[in-house]
Amino acid sequence: MHHYHLFANLLGKANGPWLSGDLQKVAWMAAAFVVMAIILLKFGKQPFMDMLANRQERIRTELDTVAQQRLSAEAERDRIKAALADSDAEAARILSEARAAAERLDVDTAARTEHELVQLRERATADLASTRRQAEADLSAELSRLSLGAAERVVRNSLDDATQQRLIDDYISQVGAQN
Amino acid sequence: MSDNRINAYADAAHRIARAEDNLSEVEDELFRLGRLIESNDELRSTLSDARLPAARRQQIVEDLLEGKATGTTTALVSMIVAAGRANDLPKIADELVQRSAADSGVAVAEVRSAVPLTDEQIARLAEALSARTNRRVTVKNVVDPTVMGGVVTQIGDSVLDGSVRTRLNQLREAF
Repeated sequence: MHHYHLFANLLGKANGPWLSGDLQKVAWMAAAFVVMAIILLKFGKQPFMDMLANRQERIRTELDTVAQQRLSAEAERDRIKAALADSDAEAARILSEARAAAERLDVDTAARTEHELVQLRERATADLASTRRQAEADLSAELSRLSLGAAERVVRNSLDDATQQRLIDDYISQVGAQN
Repeated sequence: MSDNRINAYADAAHRIARAEDNLSEVEDELFRLGRLIESNDELRSTLSDARLPAARRQQIVEDLLEGKATGTTTALVSMIVAAGRANDLPKIADELVQRSAADSGVAVAEVRSAVPLTDEQIARLAEALSARTNRRVTVKNVVDPTVMGGVVTQIGDSVLDGSVRTRLNQLREAF
């Protein structure tokens, strides 16, 4: 007991601010720690190990998934590269066809334009001739209308009683002469 | 008006005129009045106006024919107008003329002229037409100003056109 107190006094004096000078309290805390450790080892070890195993499994699964995704990404990259190569070839083909079509169109357009010009010229000539004929016909009709209107007025004014009687007598003579 | 009704009216007029022994005058007067109604829209619409009382329309007929037609003609026209058949008077008159002509074996020539033909001209034309058709022909002269001058004769289906109007039309077509 004497040694204990001595030791305790030494501890209390030599420990300084980082360790409590109450050795009894330290002993209790150590004991509590040991008990706690035993309990944890007894009841918490298996769940902890299971959790670790699950976590390990999940990480492995995620790694597998990432590996699969990487493979898929690489495959997609290869496919896109191939498609790009194909699209370059397709673009070149389309460009070539377009150029050929443009050349053909150019030739066709020139030929068609020439043909249409000829047709337009012929149509314009025909329209002009038709318009001229129509104008001549209209003028002739108008002249005849005016002439006949004037003639009718002259005839009407000249149809006095004597002329009327002469026309009737001539008519009767003609009917009689045709027998 | 149906042909049957026109025939019935013409038949009645024919019988009455024969009974009164003035068929020739009646048919001639009815024919002239028919042509007048045919060419005069105002007279035709007045005589056929159903809103006017029949007595009023008959009075118009009597005023129109007074001293210019026989009593038989006036009575017949008055009866036709009162019956609301004034529009059909030209056809009834034509039918009466045809019946009268058929009775006597005479062909009717409708002669249109701008001025009336004299009796002497009518007689000469009837003679010329008779010689042409080998039938006796009676001439019904209709004054028609649209003829302008000369004469247009229709006898049966034949038309002898010597009018100035037709010559002017031919001239217009020739241009």
